Amino acid sequence: MSGVGFGRPLAHDSVLHRRNPTVKLAVLLVVSTVLLAVVDPWTPLALWVLALVAVARAGRIPWRLLLRAQLLFGPFAVSILAVNCVTRDGPVVGALGPFEVTGPGLAIGLSLMLRTLLVGTLSVAFVLTTDGARLMTSLHQHVRLGARPTYAVLAGYRMLEQLPERWTTIRLAQAAREPARARRQGSAPAWLRAARTGRGLPDDAARQDDAAPREWRARRGGGTRLPVSPRALARAAFTLLVVTLRQGERMAVAMETRGLGAGPRTVHAPVTLDRRDAAFAAVTVGVCVAVIVAAARLGVLASWGSTFG
Amino acid sequence: MIEVRGLSVRFPRAEGPVLRGVDLDVADGERVLLLGPSGSGKSTLLRVLAGIVPQTVDADVWGSVRVAGAPVVVDPARPGGTDPGQAPGVTDVPTLARRVATLTQNPADQLCLPTVRDEVAFALENRAVPAEQIGPRVHAALTSVGAGHLADRRTSELSGGEGQRVALAAALVADPEVLLLDEPTALLDPVGARDVADAVRSAGARTSVLIEHRLDELGELPARLVVLDAHGGVRADGATAVVVLDEARALAAEGVWLPLAAELRAAGVTSLDALAPDAGPGAPGAALPRTTAAPLLRAHGLGVRRGTRTVLDGVSLDVHAGRVTAVLGLNGSGKSTLLHALAGLLPGGPDAGTVTGARVGMVFQQPEHQLLTRTVRDEVAYGPRRARLPDVDGRVERALREHVLDGLADHDPFRLSGGQQRRLSLAAMAVCDHEVLVADEPTFGQDRRTTRATARALTALAREGRGVVLVTHDLRLAGLVADDVLVLHAGRVLAHGPAEAVLADDDVLARAGLRLPPLLAAWRTTGLPLRPLLEALDARTAGSPAAQPERVA
Repeated sequence: MSGVGFGRPLAHDSVLHRRNPTVKLAVLLVVSTVLLAVVDPWTPLALWVLALVAVARAGRIPWRLLLRAQLLFGPFAVSILAVNCVTRDGPVVGALGPFEVTGPGLAIGLSLMLRTLLVGTLSVAFVLTTDGARLMTSLHQHVRLGARPTYAVLAGYRMLEQLPERWTTIRLAQAAREPARARRQGSAPAWLRAARTGRGLPDDAARQDDAAPREWRARRGGGTRLPVSPRALARAAFTLLVVTLRQGERMAVAMETRGLGAGPRTVHAPVTLDRRDAAFAAVTVGVCVAVIVAAARLGVLASWGSTFG
Repeated sequence: MIEVRGLSVRFPRAEGPVLRGVDLDVADGERVLLLGPSGSGKSTLLRVLAGIVPQTVDADVWGSVRVAGAPVVVDPARPGGTDPGQAPGVTDVPTLARRVATLTQNPADQLCLPTVRDEVAFALENRAVPAEQIGPRVHAALTSVGAGHLADRRTSELSGGEGQRVALAAALVADPEVLLLDEPTALLDPVGARDVADAVRSAGARTSVLIEHRLDELGELPARLVVLDAHGGVRADGATAVVVLDEARALAAEGVWLPLAAELRAAGVTSLDALAPDAGPGAPGAALPRTTAAPLLRAHGLGVRRGTRTVLDGVSLDVHAGRVTAVLGLNGSGKSTLLHALAGLLPGGPDAGTVTGARVGMVFQQPEHQLLTRTVRDEVAYGPRRARLPDVDGRVERALREHVLDGLADHDPFRLSGGQQRRLSLAAMAVCDHEVLVADEPTFGQDRRTTRATARALTALAREGRGVVLVTHDLRLAGLVADDVLVLHAGRVLAHGPAEAVLADDDVLARAGLRLPPLLAAWRTTGLPLRPLLEALDARTAGSPAAQPERVA
């Protein structure tokens, strides 16, 4: 997703962008929780289609991006379907290789698969329309998340932003100490060995004779060869951990010396929470309930161990 | 405003106290410069004044400290006192922060929030300033440090100098009575350092305590100078103009870059011309003659693009055995990219041109990033073991000796001081047997003593017959170690030639945006050879390296 920074929303404005982050998060949690009770495929299918259209419109999220997000959750969703198809008891409706597929297994599997795609779509929409820092400010403001945890998360976010660059530097420093790939055994040429063993500088005549260096000269195409053994990666990861922890300590001190934790505080740019957020929550949850009611009326709604309608 | 009485501090597991019986009084509006050798407890004193030691960082503390009327350390011997540092009535750090602001070296450690506006507003929010007042005050603070135009930026996108000015605004925004500055310009390039130093000076007539070791390029110094000794006591206290001359010799040996007059005093001369006998022809610093031999490494017509931006354009450079080349230029001129290209560490390789020749090792700007093992010995042995070189133990012992790391072989690299880590990273790279070594700002943020040790190490590598390329902002260092200088500007080579000739070329320096430090400007008037002159000056001011024990951090 080029152009989208970590923890930063898509650059445009939209109805979803303008909604209160805490309300969006709450709606996402409510819808996900309600759907835990639904096991028929039709209800989540209807909600998934509605959700795709809704977030594409209200969040102005490009369809291509939404499709890529589906692919992100796709493999997990399909694996849930497969496992349920072949592990649940009931009348056999087909075969998947050596396994028998049961009717209830297929229905529950499809339901869970679609639920995964639905929750995935809503989560992606939340992330793509919500600024991480505004979310923390909103949680601090509206659900009384303490100042220390709030700013610890924000400082952690700053460190995460710097992590990729730091990792690259550490890995390059590591690569610089790897032996060249096609290096001849026996290492340094005579003139360099002479210099190293204390016999002083080679005289000019010796260095004029450039044969030795040319001998072990290899073309350097330029591509980076990073050591990829688990050991090498573990070493680099440890270095990254130590350096980052140290920085975390220093940032904690910096925030304290600027008065974090001195008592009551204000927020300079409060996140708004108004009627439009209430309307958003009502509409979203309302649509969800309406779909479930409609499913029940049509006799397709199913929950664990029972069917309605 | 600041009242320190008999202050002693000892950290857990430390052999002795880092501060011993320090007395210090700073009047309202007074500005104090605090100097002392590495390990003398300068930073610790500042952290005590901010309440961090012992409240956040555990330590045993004796004596009493009051800052801006608030009790920060209460003497247990006095009525009402109990355990050191734990005494009731001690002001906690966040509360003390209403009156005392701190600025440290690294902007990355101080910018904790995603946007500049959030960052500067933070201190006001914590003081519960009404929201409608915060906007105007943030704007005023940013404007006062020349950073008004940065208000809408994200903190992750700022350069070092910009970041440090934002951090200064974030410290000043709540209008503190006392400003504590711990080497605020140490990690900045000369342009950024000047901007920040100017911003600090114009920050208003506040009480301030400043730790700084680049006195040569700082311009106007605070009026009062306090010098700590190696044992954590006060060695000298008085008018800066007087004390800096009286203490010149000791300060130079302890790692402080002095203003020109004090530097000359430390060297025992009255003018640079007086060093002529030391710096004459045939002095030990004379470079190897330029050879006609084929270069060890040849870069030809290098071009690198990042998106639509041209980072390097048609850069050619030959690296010869026994010679040191310094690459100079402003931030963003392509210096680091050139080094990565030379070392074959450019992801994907250069877009144009070729690099052919020897194997290249690289020393990185922050030594911490190079550390990969748990002991100093393993760290040095890492490269040779990977390369299956013969006699690894012998090589390691030699390298430890040459880089003055003998006693530290079993120490944890991450627990060494900054200077020790720098020497370790140089040693670890030097043992790898690369024919060419490139170094990216190897003296960044280091004091003069470590800078001098780094210069010696790089020169020694060239003397062994290797080729050395270093990128630096420090023109004095370039003058001291470089045979050749290559000046980059916007990805192109502006000048490439013998160090003395390039550093004497006003036109090139002006076009590259480089400014000579006062010492080099003075050198231009003497007609003496540059490198022997700088070596003579260093030799006369250094003291003996062996007599400078360093504390393990």
